[in-house]
Amino acid sequence: MSNDSLQYQVTLLDLVDRVLGKGVVLSGDITLSVADVDLVYVGLRVLLSSVATLEELDSGAASA
Amino acid sequence: MAAVPVPEPADGWYLYGIVAAGAAPPDGAGVDPGHGVVALAEGPVAGLVSRVSLQEFDEAALPERLADAVWLEEKIRAHERVLDSALAAGPVVPCRFCTVYRDDHELRRFLADRGDVLASALRRLEGRVELGVKAFAAAVPKGEAAGAESGRAYLEARRREQQEREELARTRAELVRDLHRRLLAAADDGVLLDLQSRELSGRGAEMVFNGSYLVTDAARFKQALADAAPDGFDVELTGPWPPYNFVPEELGRP
Repeated sequence: MSNDSLQYQVTLLDLVDRVLGKGVVLSGDITLSVADVDLVYVGLRVLLSSVATLEELDSGAASA
Repeated sequence: MAAVPVPEPADGWYLYGIVAAGAAPPDGAGVDPGHGVVALAEGPVAGLVSRVSLQEFDEAALPERLADAVWLEEKIRAHERVLDSALAAGPVVPCRFCTVYRDDHELRRFLADRGDVLASALRRLEGRVELGVKAFAAAVPKGEAAGAESGRAYLEARRREQQEREELARTRAELVRDLHRRLLAAADDGVLLDLQSRELSGRGAEMVFNGSYLVTDAARFKQALADAAPDGFDVELTGPWPPYNFVPEELGRP
């Protein structure tokens, strides 16, 4: 695995932590509720952690 | 006031963030590649919006979309791209991902109702950016207790390891306090964020520090970081970010 893809994951994680975890949170007549976005945020973090774990396993196997 | 295209009934408005009225909207497409970003002005502020199909962004369709990692990443990056361009031109109060209004009525009402808070937030953010700072420590070496030959040697090794762990935790807590204090001195505001686990970051090194700062003088901040960066840790600077971590508290996450 290249360092580029590692950096990429870190960046996407930082992005997700900000774009989904922070910012102005509105309620009212919007199509997604706050709870909906919270769920997506949690799901994405799980997804990113499994991707990161896979890549770590990959790099471990490659260097073994 | 600039004419705003009238949306088809099946279109909603995706709100990226709020800028000062009169600021030019960023060029380029929004989360829907077919629609550009416009500034919908209301009093002293304007919402940066683009049209999205409610078929794509309707609550009925969204659960399926949101489970699609490729779709999500594309839209998250588009959201950030719009805000990055806006940030390059002037202050912006960023909204959370997927803030979609069914029509411009409610959107205008939000802008009108919260105009004062938003305008004062924009004044506060003028000339400032958010910079992220992360620090990583090398993995802690495995203990020697596992290899001990006698029971007594094992217990002693365990005790030593316990002491070392406690000392390490103390050292890191001090490091976090000291680094945060020194960075705050070169910033206008700052917050400590949750640490990203190794599973999440995909790095062998353990994150020991995750902070974000609202900064006027980036060069001064970087110098402060270089001066304060502790030995033996990898320090990373990210940004400039739209000030996600510095939106007015009353408009932030409940």
